[in-house]
Amino acid sequence: MSGEQGARIFDVGYRSYDGPRSTPVWALVTVWRHTVQRVLGLHRSFRHKVLPTIALLIAFLPAVIFVGITAFLPAGRILNDILPSYGEYVGEITMALALFASLVAPESLCTDRRTGMLDLYLAGPLDAKRYLAAKWAAVAGVMLVMTVGPELFLLVSYTVVSAGPSPGETPLLLLRIVVSGVGVALFYTAVAMGVSSLTTRRAVAAVATVLVLLVPSIAVGVAIESSGAPNELALLTPGVATEYAFRVFGDSRDPSNGDPPIARLSTGLVVAGLGGWILLGGAVCLVSYRRQGARR
Amino acid sequence: MSEAATAPVVSARGVTKRYRSTVALDALDVDIVHGITGLLGPNGAGKTTFISLLLGLRTRDAGELNVLGHDPATSGIEVRARIGFAPEHHNLPPDVHAADLVRHLGELHGLPGRAAIQRANDALWQVGLGEERFRPIGTMSTGQRQRVKLAGAIVHDPELVLLDEPTDGLDPLQRDDMLALIRRVGSEFGMDIVISSHHLEEAERICDAVVILGGGSVVRAGRLSELRRDSERLLVDVDDRAPEIAAILHASGFDVAVHGEAVSVLWAEGVHDAVRDAVADLGVGLRRLGPERQTLEDVYMEASA
Repeated sequence: MSGEQGARIFDVGYRSYDGPRSTPVWALVTVWRHTVQRVLGLHRSFRHKVLPTIALLIAFLPAVIFVGITAFLPAGRILNDILPSYGEYVGEITMALALFASLVAPESLCTDRRTGMLDLYLAGPLDAKRYLAAKWAAVAGVMLVMTVGPELFLLVSYTVVSAGPSPGETPLLLLRIVVSGVGVALFYTAVAMGVSSLTTRRAVAAVATVLVLLVPSIAVGVAIESSGAPNELALLTPGVATEYAFRVFGDSRDPSNGDPPIARLSTGLVVAGLGGWILLGGAVCLVSYRRQGARR
Repeated sequence: MSEAATAPVVSARGVTKRYRSTVALDALDVDIVHGITGLLGPNGAGKTTFISLLLGLRTRDAGELNVLGHDPATSGIEVRARIGFAPEHHNLPPDVHAADLVRHLGELHGLPGRAAIQRANDALWQVGLGEERFRPIGTMSTGQRQRVKLAGAIVHDPELVLLDEPTDGLDPLQRDDMLALIRRVGSEFGMDIVISSHHLEEAERICDAVVILGGGSVVRAGRLSELRRDSERLLVDVDDRAPEIAAILHASGFDVAVHGEAVSVLWAEGVHDAVRDAVADLGVGLRRLGPERQTLEDVYMEASA
């Protein structure tokens, strides 16, 4: 009868939810995905996409150019002189990593604290450690795309144009690409996250990150070259990340470029130095967020 | 009735929390039952600390606390997964659409992606923001942001909703709307609600029970109907000449007090007839004649005295 009279339901009222629910661990994945989207500017206005796009372009563009050169120049001495090794390529993308660490990554932590989103997260099925783990994984994941991505692109492209490694060398090279990429990505993530955990202002975090990446290099360089300070001080500079990548690939140095102080250190010390930076960044984050849940 | 239906939502026994030398909660004993419960008290009474303990965001120094059958100090994540919380502050990500934020909070609490989208839309419709759900939160008024927070707190259909000062910053009309909405969430949606506030009249309007905190202890707690019992006095509300009516009743031997345009008389044999005669003799209008009911403020003042 109601159908004949054209009855319509205008309000079904509140409906409770009795469908499936994920375990609380899934909250990490949710925060990770949301953070990746935010730092890359996805689902956000154009201006939020500019910086991450530039950083990714700077990371990938040299690889595209090198592949182009390889395709057009004949294999030989000239080509070998022009093209960087896989280890040297990390040095090529330092600018991209520094740009991302200083201008984009602070979005992942600073904004949540400034906008009160952190309070909502910590009142949900997360605690500070899980929250930080998700944030680190998100930023490190994007950094990993910047460190591993171009090198994989180089490897595949070189192989396609018959300038790649022999089939027997490929697995080891792949492993080296991943190991160096993870180390370097974690280094820049640690710097960005450690600094960002100390402030709610992205601009402050950006300036502070740039200072952390620049000042030690200048100060330590002057101290070692002018005052004869020990070479181990070089472990306090971001150069430790590029040196780590260099060592992972087992590259030999060009003697004409001189021997930087960090090159005089053992590989064990370089790895320990890199690990120290990463642990320091993690410790700063943990200490900064230890009381955050209680703050509400 | 099942055990779960009768068990208190929150049970605290001897809960103590200190911040160095300051005792924020002092051996707190309270049961919060199903329905809407007002957590009342002045600033510094311990409301915020108690909510933090309920969420498992702080650890207590002594006592036992049980929220939805779990100890939040050891099972904080499990407890928080079943709770919806709307914080006091109005800060929310300004560039995020309301629907996106509420969906994200739904996913955070375990809803699958498609269900989270559906329920975020539903929750925003329920709080009256259906048409506004794709607006950036930064462009919304304080009242709308309070509603977004409420939608975020109920999107995952929690068993318990904690609302911290949900009417803070609202004008009187917005406040009325928000209180009606909270009442609806508590009654129609079947969620238990603890609402922290220092506005007694708000709790009086929407709460089934109250817990009044003062100096870190429970000053009074119980169902509102029990706390606000009728007094033994009769309230005579007239439109004029209240002092003269009081004088006539006093002369007849009744215990009388004047409160503005109303006369309060201690109940005794023949008081109704005496009031009728006094009003008729003076020719004034009688607005109301009935038992003098205690307000929550009376209860609070009595307990604080």
